[in-house]
Amino acid sequence: MASDRAIPCELDQEKYDADDNVKIICLGDSAVGKSKLMERFLMDGFQPQQLSTYALTLYKHKATVDGRTVLVDFWDTAGQERFQSMHASYYHKAHACIMVFDVQRKVTYKNLSTWYTELREFRPEIPCIVVANKIDADIKMTQKSFNFARKFSLPLYFVSAADGTNVVKLFNDAIRLAVSYKHNTQDFMDEVLQELENFDLEQKDDDVPDQVQCGSLESLSPS
Amino acid sequence: MDPAVYVRMMCTAKKCGIRFQPPAIILIYENEMKGKSRQRIMPVRNFSKFSDCSRAAEQLKNNPRHKNYLEQVSLRQLEKLFRVLRGYLQGQSLAETMEQIQRETTIDPEEDLNKLDDKELAKRKSIMDELFEKNQKKKEDPNFVYDIEVEFPQDEHLQSCGWDTESADEF
Repeated sequence: MASDRAIPCELDQEKYDADDNVKIICLGDSAVGKSKLMERFLMDGFQPQQLSTYALTLYKHKATVDGRTVLVDFWDTAGQERFQSMHASYYHKAHACIMVFDVQRKVTYKNLSTWYTELREFRPEIPCIVVANKIDADIKMTQKSFNFARKFSLPLYFVSAADGTNVVKLFNDAIRLAVSYKHNTQDFMDEVLQELENFDLEQKDDDVPDQVQCGSLESLSPS
Repeated sequence: MDPAVYVRMMCTAKKCGIRFQPPAIILIYENEMKGKSRQRIMPVRNFSKFSDCSRAAEQLKNNPRHKNYLEQVSLRQLEKLFRVLRGYLQGQSLAETMEQIQRETTIDPEEDLNKLDDKELAKRKSIMDELFEKNQKKKEDPNFVYDIEVEFPQDEHLQSCGWDTESADEF
């Protein structure tokens, strides 16, 4: 699926490990309105960073979640979607995904499954929101059911980048999901690291037969 | 009094069309006397079946003699009128020309735009932008609201979008 087209080595993705940074990626076919949604959310505040070498646009945004400042990088595809596949680095360290289709074009809905398969190949667990865009063009589509979202138990948002319906809510919810995913996995990683450390200690403790060895594992019980 | 200043304040465009013989763009508008329609005939010169319609439209719209009258007429509409004229000059029937215009100015919902090159994709996007701009609520609009939330509940009794396949394995 994802091939080895130009690897963006100058893109520093280490920062996404930092506590206050999250990365949210946008997926979906050409012309479903991904960039227009970004622009509607960020309004005047948007300063997209074009990385044309990688067919990538970055939008930086500062958000506040539960009183804490979060630096959000939104990744937008800038034409790379034409390959119906994204480079692996696009998915790397992403904390949430916004997956868009156009309610006026069936093919963009059908292609969601390709996008979703690729997403799960790289990021099996991250939160993903399905977005039905352009409802201003055909409001009746909001009265229909879309099985794709139901099948994978994904939230479905009806939005319009043109008139603004649900755009702000979509992005704020995506940020919230990204932050909570990050914190939960971080807790999990901390637990794993803790377990490994304890494991090391146990190994050493083997030389001291009188020591009680099970105590350290207790700290791993679900919190 | 300078007529250009005069019409800028008063002219309300009502209808705009094309006459084939002799070729002219015709504007029906209202001036300061409400309810009284006036007609302005703008002759089309140096236009052949090989002419570029978007350039012709631009030239007319920027023509110092007409520009104030045409302020409310979109470039797109003028371009379309020139295309109708060009179709006539090429010997096409009106129906043929209209169908051609329709084809070039609407999106085929079945078309996979991922498969188009940059130029073709840009064309489709500009067609979509037309509707986008028509429906767009801009920040400058007096009733603009940044955060608009509308609930569309996805409950059980909704009708299917018709895009899902019947089989349970597929969506």
